[in-house]
Formats: sequence, C-alpha cells, structure tokens
Amino acid sequence: MATSRRTTKKGAADTANHAVFAGSMPVTSELTPFQILAPDGTPVREDLIPDLDLVEEMYRQMARLRHLDDKFMTLYKSQKLGNYAQFGGQEASQIGSAMALDQNLDFLCPMYRNTAAMITHGWSLKNAIMYWRGHPEGWRIPDDLNILPVIISIPGQIVHAAGVAMGLQMKKTGGVAMTYIGEGGTSQGDFHIGVNFASARNAPAVFIIENNGWAISVPRKVQSGVDYLMRRSEGYGIPGYLVDGNDILAVHTVAKKAVQDARDGKGPSLIEQMTYRIRPHTTGDDPKAYRDENGDPKFWAENRDPIQRVKRFLTTEKRWNDDREVAMMAEIETEFQAALEAADNFAAPDPKALLEYVFVNPPVQILEQQAILAERIKEVNA
Amino acid sequence: MTQVLEKTETKTLTMAAAITDAMDVMLDRDPSVVIYGEDVGNLGGVYRITTGLQKKHGEDRVFDSPLTESGIIGTAIGAGAVGMRPVVELQFGGFMMPAFDQIFSHVSRYRYRSRGRYKVPMVVRFPVGGGTGLLEQHADSPEAYLAHSPGIKVAYPSNPYDAKGLLISAIEDDDPVFFFETIVRYRDPKIRMEVPTGYYNIPLGKARIAREGKDVTIIGYGGMMQNIETAADAAASAGIQCEIIDLRTIVPLDIETILESVAKTGRVIIVHEATKTAGIGAEIAAQIMEKAFYELEAPIERVCSFDTMPSPFNSLNHFSRPEAHHIAAAIKKVLSA
Repeated sequence: MATSRRTTKKGAADTANHAVFAGSMPVTSELTPFQILAPDGTPVREDLIPDLDLVEEMYRQMARLRHLDDKFMTLYKSQKLGNYAQFGGQEASQIGSAMALDQNLDFLCPMYRNTAAMITHGWSLKNAIMYWRGHPEGWRIPDDLNILPVIISIPGQIVHAAGVAMGLQMKKTGGVAMTYIGEGGTSQGDFHIGVNFASARNAPAVFIIENNGWAISVPRKVQSGVDYLMRRSEGYGIPGYLVDGNDILAVHTVAKKAVQDARDGKGPSLIEQMTYRIRPHTTGDDPKAYRDENGDPKFWAENRDPIQRVKRFLTTEKRWNDDREVAMMAEIETEFQAALEAADNFAAPDPKALLEYVFVNPPVQILEQQAILAERIKEVNA
Repeated sequence: MTQVLEKTETKTLTMAAAITDAMDVMLDRDPSVVIYGEDVGNLGGVYRITTGLQKKHGEDRVFDSPLTESGIIGTAIGAGAVGMRPVVELQFGGFMMPAFDQIFSHVSRYRYRSRGRYKVPMVVRFPVGGGTGLLEQHADSPEAYLAHSPGIKVAYPSNPYDAKGLLISAIEDDDPVFFFETIVRYRDPKIRMEVPTGYYNIPLGKARIAREGKDVTIIGYGGMMQNIETAADAAASAGIQCEIIDLRTIVPLDIETILESVAKTGRVIIVHEATKTAGIGAEIAAQIMEKAFYELEAPIERVCSFDTMPSPFNSLNHFSRPEAHHIAAAIKKVLSA
C-alpha cells in the first residue's frame, strides 16, 4: 500500500492530497476534487456556502445516521441484526447527494451500502432495522417512497436506473433517477451498459461513484489504470464531476446541478465522490486481514471526517455549540430507541411471506407449495 | 378457453405477421407499451417482426436501442417499475446470455424483493431454434434456464393464432414473460392460418389439445409441434391414436391437462428441441411421476436434442434435433413396453 501524505495546511484547500483522495492510486493529473469546505471546516469557496439552515440540517442528518451506523454495529454484535454493510465515513457522500432529490418526483436506485441515502430519501429507521434483520416487512418498500429495491449483486442498479430514467422521460413526469456504485463496481460491464444507455437516450439519470478506496480487500488501483473514474464521462459524452466526497457542501452542490440538468432535459451526469471506507466492508469483514488500520483508515477517520468538518464550520459561524450538540444527540438517541422498539415489537415474520409476490398470478406449482408451507406452519404451531 | 373479445373477422397470417399484429394491437390499446431492441425501429428487426410499427406508432414508442442485451432487459426493469410496459426484442435467444445477471438476479426477483411494490410487466421476445444453418448462438433453445428461475413466465407458441393471442396476454400480464418464437416457423407456409383481426387473447397457462387420441400422449411446444403431428400422422396410418398436447406456455405449466391425458393413455412422450439433461421434459416427467405414477403403463420417453451446444454442423443436425422419425421410434417404444 502506498504511503499517503498526511499533511494539510490549516485553512488551505486539500487539493494537493491526490494520493489520499485516490485511495492509494498514484495520481499525476491536473484534476482536483471540487471542495467548498476544507477538511478543517474552513470555507474554500465562500461564495458557494449555502443557507446555514441547510448546512445545519445536513449536519444533523449526518450525526443522526453516523449514530445509526454505530448502533447497527452494536446490534450486529449482539445478534440483533443480520450481516450489515456499513456506510460510516461516507455520510456526506450519500446524504449530500440524496438531499438533492425531490422525494415526490425522483427515484433513488440503491445498492447495499446506501442505507444513509435511502433514509435521506424517506426510508424510516424502523424499516431500515427490519430490512437488515431480514424481516419481510422491512423488505417491503412503502408505496409512498420512490426508492427501488436494494441491489446486492454489483452493479445491476446502474442499468435499472437508466431504465427508470427512460420511463420517467417517456411519462414526462419531470423526475430523475439517482443511483450509486462503489469504485469496484465500475469494473463491471453493467456499469458501462447503464451509463451508456442513459447517455444514448439522453435519460434523466445521475450516476454516482462513491470511491471509498476499497472493494472488500482490493484497493482502488487494482480496478483500473485510470487516475479518476469520472474521466469515463467523456467517453459517454456526458458531464463528469470529481468531488471531495467528504465535503457535504461540495457533494450537494454538484448533485443539485446534475439533478437539475437531468430535469431540464440535458441528460445524465457521472459524479465521482472521493471518500474512504474507514469501516469494514460489512459486519462480516475484518480489514485487519488486508490493511493497516493505523494507516489510511485512521488518517481518514481523524483528519477527513465529513461530520467534524461541518461541525467545525458551524461552530465558527456561531451556529453550533456543545449545548446544542448534547441536545441533538439526546434527540437522536431517543429517536433511534423508539425505532428499535417499534422494530422489536413488530409482529414476527409470517412464514407465508416466503411464497408471496413470486408471481402476480401464481401458477398451480406455487399454490401447491403454499399448501405444503401451510402444513409446515400448522405442524410448528401444533 | 379462448376469448375473442372484439372482432370475429379473420385474416390469413404467417406466425411472423401474427406476432407483428399482436404488437400493433397493443400499441394502439395501451399507451404505456413501448417496443425497443436492436434494429427494431427503422429496419423492423432482423426477422422483420416489428416492420412498420415505428412508422405507424412513432419513434417514442418503437425505437432502436444500443447493442446490449443486458441494457435492453435491465432498462426494461427500471422502465417497468415506473409504469411503462416494455416489449423488448433480442435478436436471438442465444444472445440472452450477456443479460444473464439482469434476468436471473433481477427480472425474476424484482417483485419479490420489493414485496409487491414493483412489478415487472415486461415481455422479452426472441427467435429460437435451429434448422436454419445460421451461426453459433443463432439456434439455441434456452427455455429451461428461464423456467428454473422463479418469477418468470415462459410462452412458446406453435402457430399464428396462438402466437397472437399469447403475445397479447403476455403484454397485458403484470409478470415478466419470455416469448419464444421459432425461426423456422416464422414464415412456414404450412402453418399459415386464419387469425382474428383486432384484439383477442389466449390465457397463459392453458395447454391446447392439438389432437385427441387414446393410445399415447405426446407433449411438446413451439416448432416441434409440426414434427409431432407428422409422427402422429404416420402412427395413425398404423392404427395408433396419439393424443397431442401443445403446452403453449411452459410457465405456467398446465399440469392438469397433462394429467387428464395421462389418465386416458397411460403412455407419455415429451419432445423438445432443447438439450435433454435437466430440460423441461425432466420437469414434466417428474410431475407426472409425483401425481400420476400409477396411471402409467410404460416408462416416460423424452425426445430431445443431444447434450451438446446446438450443432454447428449443418448436415448432421438431423441426427440430434428431434425429427418426426425420432418421435415415431419413441411411439413404438412406449407402446411396446
């Protein structure tokens, strides 16, 4: 693993730190990730600081979901959650982009690491807990949410998002499809297929690469010889953006532009958000087996944390203080406990769920298996 | 069994023309129907099945796609999720394989995965089967992969009337339907027939008794039905009465009709062009064993292609692809058991 440079001048843009941004990919390019706030919370682009109410909302959402990610790890360890894909450290990348969507018009096409984006687009904490517990009612996507099912195999959702965008375009709803993939997923054929299809149809889609440096144990440099994956946008004839994925203001600004362009009929965009997977791949993964946790992961956790960056900024702006922090964390904990309680108290999964929704009109073979299932349920209950 | 809902006027059509007609009818009836695929727009598809549809219904509803089966099928999932009803074409059944992940990980599971929030109302049409002397991947019969995947319906018509009625049902169905079109029957003059103009449908999952008989049940579908009929004609001249079942759809499988026939004849032959091992014939035989074992007078026979890729050796294919005389041999065998 290449050694990262670990020095950042206070108050200066973090633009020189290519090696860090590229996740151990040696970079010699002129490209620098777009930033509004430096890692220490100092504005790099004063002119682009949005309304502070919005910044505070972003901060609160990041704190809320970091707390959730932490709690999910605890629940997993006490066997109260199934295998779970953590997003901790990538809050800015997911929340900043999903906040650019209109929940009534736009569709989110998530993959397994997008719990934060999904909740930002309206998914409830209770449903998130139940989904990761493998409860059928957690898998049910409520009718009032424009969220597609979580995709596990990489990266089918890229093609689905192109199709959603085409469908919204045909129906002239003004809606946009937003989807995510890790940097590893860009090596798959369906990444190319989906982005290219959307480009060919000028479909209103926003494709986001969350480059967190790692595909389980495989570092970014193994995936491709290109320095930045967003360069592929040129090959699709669409706008490409390179963004500091741990700067939520930068992420949000770029995502808003991409969403608006899509809505205005200007077609899809490709955004690469440079972030870092400070946590394991999933709760079943132990990164100590393949990387030095005191190296880059520690550096990113201590020096590039997306939440601390905004907190410092808000504190400097006199919008934040310890009292508010304490009050907010108490609210967050209360909300989480209520969601956990609701999930815990939810009726146990009905075994009938096993054979529901296979077909709209189930063939006789399914009906026969439903009868066998009913017998098995009866035996267990006897 | 068959509903003729609007008109009873008929036209003599080939299988190809009947399929075109079904899409034309549905483009007229349902504004959410869109047709896309490689070459389907201006050219009308490699077999000219969508000929004229773009001109009549416009480029927004019938259009060429980029050359990507995974893209065609994957985008149809997304477009279907937000209310469209995509009817997409693949150039050949053998070209389905680049879309394997989209079909088996996503098309088949999307509704289940969202607990009913999203349905997958797509139809995927494609030409299948050999006997054409074309290149590799132009002669495949991939129905068993699809039938093995929960959530996917499989239609495999054998004649123009069924093709139109089944395709209309497939387009109206809220589940994904893979629609098999036998290349050598597209314009086979022997199966041209009177087809009602306008709208009618044939329900998915209802087999057709193509011929009644008491001695042996022969089950088949698609392009093989002609070979079965020929074999049955020869048997009839020897005094053997074959009952022929045309499945029309493999999923749903009309096991009821099969079992009624088995109860009558006690002898069964299953014919398909696809390879034998773990094929549809194996599934049907297993279901008969589970439900009608004691009705059987003889072991079930399967007449299928050899377990190889579809043979690229054009002059040798007739040793493998089921021919009428292979079926005739099977009739003799089950009757002598």
